[in-house]
Amino acid sequence: MEFWKDSDEAVRTIVKLQEEAFKDPDLGPALKKVNQLILYDYTESGPGCAVWVDCRNGQLSCGAGDPPGKPDLVLSLSADDAHRAWSNKLNPIVAITRKKIRVKGSATGLLKLAPKTKRTAEIYTQLLKDLNMADKILK
Amino acid sequence: MKGNTGKIVNVDLTAGRIDIETLPEEYYRKYIGGSGLAAKLFWERANFKADPLSPEAMLMFMNGPLAGIRVSGASRSSVGGRSPQTGHWGDSSVGGYFAPELRYAGFDGIVIKGRASQPSFLLIMDDKITIEDAAEYWGKGTEEVTRTLKGKYGKNYRTLVIGPAAENGVRFTLILNDGHNTTGRAGYGSLMGSKNLKAIVIKATKKERTLAEPAAFEAMRKDLNERIKGSLAANVLHEDGTAANLLGGMFIGDVPIKNWTSNYWEEAGEALSGGSLTSQYLTRRGACAYCEIACKRIVEVKDGPFAVPEGPGPEYETIVSFGCLMGSIDLAATCKAGRVCNDLGMDSISCGGTIAWAMEAFERGDLTLSDTEGIELKWGDMDTVINRILPAIARREGKLGDLLAEGSVGAAKKIGKGMDYTAHSKGLEAPMHDPRGGGQGMALSYAMSPRGACHVADPMMFMEMGGKYYPEIGFELILDPRSTENKALAATTSVALGAIENSACFCNFADGEVTIPDWLNLFNYVAGYDWTAEDMMLAGRRVFFLKRLINYRYGLTAGDDDLTPRMLEPARDGEVKGVQVDLAKMKKDFYKLMRMDPDKGIPTREALEDAGMAEEAQQVW
Repeated sequence: MEFWKDSDEAVRTIVKLQEEAFKDPDLGPALKKVNQLILYDYTESGPGCAVWVDCRNGQLSCGAGDPPGKPDLVLSLSADDAHRAWSNKLNPIVAITRKKIRVKGSATGLLKLAPKTKRTAEIYTQLLKDLNMADKILK
Repeated sequence: MKGNTGKIVNVDLTAGRIDIETLPEEYYRKYIGGSGLAAKLFWERANFKADPLSPEAMLMFMNGPLAGIRVSGASRSSVGGRSPQTGHWGDSSVGGYFAPELRYAGFDGIVIKGRASQPSFLLIMDDKITIEDAAEYWGKGTEEVTRTLKGKYGKNYRTLVIGPAAENGVRFTLILNDGHNTTGRAGYGSLMGSKNLKAIVIKATKKERTLAEPAAFEAMRKDLNERIKGSLAANVLHEDGTAANLLGGMFIGDVPIKNWTSNYWEEAGEALSGGSLTSQYLTRRGACAYCEIACKRIVEVKDGPFAVPEGPGPEYETIVSFGCLMGSIDLAATCKAGRVCNDLGMDSISCGGTIAWAMEAFERGDLTLSDTEGIELKWGDMDTVINRILPAIARREGKLGDLLAEGSVGAAKKIGKGMDYTAHSKGLEAPMHDPRGGGQGMALSYAMSPRGACHVADPMMFMEMGGKYYPEIGFELILDPRSTENKALAATTSVALGAIENSACFCNFADGEVTIPDWLNLFNYVAGYDWTAEDMMLAGRRVFFLKRLINYRYGLTAGDDDLTPRMLEPARDGEVKGVQVDLAKMKKDFYKLMRMDPDKGIPTREALEDAGMAEEAQQVW
């Protein structure tokens, strides 16, 4: 992997990002509106390399590995491209068109989050600093 | 001939004469079908001096070679001719069920001239074609006429119907297919109305067509349909319709607000989004023939001032034009306005654009209470818009109705004020995508499109988003919407592909999954063209060139490839605050790359000859 030591580091960091996003006064309510169980499947970068986010029924939770139920939406990509995407350095439409991201399930929730990519990237950048991973910040 | 039938119906309404003509196969290979073939027939047959509402004017309905092949997105057709709205070449595409029915009946198109002595409709039952009396339908709305015709002949009879606005010569009128699908743009309803032709009704007994390579086609058809249905675009369009991404568009500054004075209104993005329409008013989804995407909305607004019974719901363009463009976030009002526009037979884009322009004119004092005969035009006053202004326009009633029936450009000319804050190109009101947010390439597309400002003339909008690329023909650029870099180069590909798509009459919501090899297989397996990618792209360029030549004969030059001051001024707010379209450089580069004369705005003689258009070149050079 280009950016991650191993898949465990990728998963831990991205789970932490979700937890930070839940607390954000802008992103938290936006995530609740998505009302889906989303699986970010990074297993092409290593077994078990996956993060789930459960936004159903007005609750927010997340974790690593298998999701607690059948996901409404699965986004499959590499952990490196996930890093680029969370950093707002990967155009998701370009990535989907060129098959770097594969989408399965109902993608309408994604559209609700599309306007929040900038804010997510801000939180992600701060998180990387807080976790002493500033070297991973993409310029 | 395979795929195409090779036959068109020529109708002379003045003489009451109908004949069937077989077209040379070369026409199809050179101009594909749809609006391309219509342009070819127009070029060789039209009286260029004829007023678009005169009996001599040609009205053409034309299929592409793919009509009825049972592929998602392939069931559209085109209408074309001299636009009553703009005065130059125009065409408009329509989905629904008309195209396959016409093909199954044995025809590729209908060319109509003349003027019936009394209100009439055309009845096509296979090869039996008659002109029928439509006196009882004249003056009536499209909903009632469609319902009555289907009640009389059968619900599987396909209908094209115009509304009262078209009978009254409103400039921006539509033709409605089966009560839901519109040829919205460029005013062909009025061209049909000027011929005293209220409707076309068609039924084919058999659902057969001849293909060049049926086995190979069937194998690809299944695969292509699966890919289209499984695509991200299909997913969101099915779920939430064409307004699915309105909120996202709002954040990037793509959605025009209050007559293009603002690019950001978060509340409107939430209130008007496709998701809101789904959760509040959707009762079921609808589809064009053989389309598995099913992006059409069927809605019901049960109560309130804008209650509407279950029926066709608004598309993105109607939601924005009768929503935030007029300063309203009332989604129910857009449902009602869309239904009223359809019933009266008016294009919601141009109609909405014209009313939004009038609201600003009133605010500025360029239109006064005397001009409006006491009607106050206020942002967001949808009750007045729906209950007073729309009926007045359709019937050209009163000073205001008659003025706005001319469209924003015509109205601005008439009052001698307000042209700088119209939003159009070549006289066609711009669709509801603002290039300052949507992308610089979109501005170039609007300016270059032969029919006028148009986001579906070519796939540039999707190319700028990153949703389309074509490695097989060397187009792999990743474009930055805000930058002009590579936009002229991208446009050389997009205008050709747009002409191919529009001539093939393929839906651009479905074609994201259609690769260049798919396109070639479609044309070659269905119509037996035996094209290479180069042949196909040349045909696309040729169609684009021909429409430009037609416009040149109407006096349009490079100077008309422009946007209005309102569209070119820096964006005032939102994510795109300060962003400005840099059209001049993109235009210059585009003309050079396309080998077009930078003053005349048409291809050079050499470019035309290289495109196999030596005869056409002789007439303009």
